[in-house]
Amino acid sequence: MLVAAVRRRAWWILLGVVLFAAAAFLPFVTTPFYVRVGQLVLLSSALGLAWTLLGGFAGYWSFGNSAFIGLGAFAAGIFEVELMKGQPWLGFALGLLLGAAISGLAASVVAWPILRLRGIYFAVAMLGISQVLAELNNNIDIFKGSMGLVLPRLSAFGLRPEALYFYLLLIATILITILAFAIQHSRIGAGLMAIREDEDTARMLGVPTERYKVTMFIASAALTGALGVIYAHSLGYITTSSVYRTEFSLNMIVYNLLGGIGTLIGPFLGSAIMVILTQVVLGRLLSIHMFVTGALLVLLVLVAPKGITGLVRALRQRWSAR
Amino acid sequence: MSEPILRLDHVTKRFRGLVATNDVSFEVPEGSICSLIGPNGAGKSTIFNLVTGYLPVSEGSIHFQGRRIEGTPTTDLARAGIARCFQIAKPFPELSVHDNVRIGALFGRDGARDIGAVTRDAMALAGLTERAQTPASELTVGYLRRLELARAIAARPILLLADEPCAGLNATETEDVIDILRDVRARGVTVLLVEHDMQAVMRVSDRIFVIDAGRKIAEGPPEAVANDPHVIAAYLGTDEE
Ligand SMILES: Nc1ncnc2c1ncn2[C@@H]1O[C@H](COP(=O)(O)OP(=O)(O)OP(=O)(O)O)[C@@H](O)[C@H]1O
Ligand SMILES: [Mg+2]
Repeated sequence: MLVAAVRRRAWWILLGVVLFAAAAFLPFVTTPFYVRVGQLVLLSSALGLAWTLLGGFAGYWSFGNSAFIGLGAFAAGIFEVELMKGQPWLGFALGLLLGAAISGLAASVVAWPILRLRGIYFAVAMLGISQVLAELNNNIDIFKGSMGLVLPRLSAFGLRPEALYFYLLLIATILITILAFAIQHSRIGAGLMAIREDEDTARMLGVPTERYKVTMFIASAALTGALGVIYAHSLGYITTSSVYRTEFSLNMIVYNLLGGIGTLIGPFLGSAIMVILTQVVLGRLLSIHMFVTGALLVLLVLVAPKGITGLVRALRQRWSAR
Repeated sequence: MSEPILRLDHVTKRFRGLVATNDVSFEVPEGSICSLIGPNGAGKSTIFNLVTGYLPVSEGSIHFQGRRIEGTPTTDLARAGIARCFQIAKPFPELSVHDNVRIGALFGRDGARDIGAVTRDAMALAGLTERAQTPASELTVGYLRRLELARAIAARPILLLADEPCAGLNATETEDVIDILRDVRARGVTVLLVEHDMQAVMRVSDRIFVIDAGRKIAEGPPEAVANDPHVIAAYLGTDEE
């Protein structure tokens, strides 16, 4: 199945490879500012892909994935600071695993009750969970959420920090893209699509709906947690409010919607457009930033309810029907 | 006689005050087409919901291939070989006909290996080959019924539960669906049918169970049921069909 899917999409895959390869040159040809913009595009795309494993594929929209960024960031942060002094890379590698594991574990604990909630109830439950976790992180002293945590500095090959994190995020994004592609084009991907379309019918056809949903929720959370670890290091110093950001949760959804929900290029398109628009084009006009984001969303809902990929498909159909 | 594919023993289903299924027992022999008939609200679809594990039974037992199945999750029953077509067609609207049927082939009863072949075969059987690429949301009622059947067939069932597959169809379309059901049976699949079109039921069924207000009031081959005074009074008398 996977092999056939790869063959059918050979051109898209080639395009992806070329774009990723081109991105690798970015730190050599541009200023640190644009490298940081690139970082943000990659981080947003990767977070959007992790979100879409459950949200886009199965139709279970989490409004609280920032909780997993926070869990991953603090789990790794505390571990590295307390136990891994003097070994920054080993600490980081183990921290990545720990961040993913703790986020995945948290997801598996809440999965059973909340994945039985459908549609908007699941979304709201996740929003609630992320608020609770943020409060706990902020108010319980051992988590150091309010005081903050300084992470061990990483360096390699004499790269400037923004270039280093750009590359770490690039690698993470590539791996998540490959994983998402493999899931989308396997049996579980077909099952997730059936769940999104009509869960009762899916069950009636023998799709193991509960197992699939739980698996994807844990995978999505673990990947988001790992990304949280990289993000935390790129910040260098983290507090509750810098990683448990509701804004992150919303952006994952908005970028997916903008690009085309359920697709793999959707998060890339959405992230690239929104990050470049808000950071570069409107970078100096912070006051109208939110206004423009809001206006764009309204426009999106009116013009392209299925995102850019949906719009392109509709236009192509209209074109070929002439 | 060999073990029946499906056996209900004194099955009762209550919804709070309402007894939707009241002490119903019947057996569906292997390789047969049996029909459940009865007026609207008699409890036919409820029986399907119980057999597929979609709703829990209140009392009684259900055996599938000699194995008790009450309490078994719907997914597991599908994998054991029980497929169902819904009374109100429930396609995956955003997917093409082909992709809808393919999901039936990918899941369903354990053990299909050539997914592409199973998908094509089920589409051909249901007369959908030409519509393979049409999005399900653009199908007419007639083709939606075929899609329900094709998806269920692709799941390679042992027992197919078809809930009013001819509802909303004209005479020729009804004829086509009946032919499809016969083909399905010819492949060794046992069929339990719910249908309001009495002509169709009389022609296709080996055995008929008549349900009224949750109770089984008669059972037998088509001629016997058609002439049963209880049935004429309770069902044919009160319903214009
Ligand atoms: N989930 C449910 N909760 C409460 N009552 C229900 C439920 N499902 C069915 N009923 C009731 O049970 C009775 C039998 O309904 P059912 O759908 O089984 O009838 P039916 O014989 O399939 O009718 P029709 O020919 O109209 O499809 C009806 O009174 C219905 O309102
Ligand atoms: Mg019914």
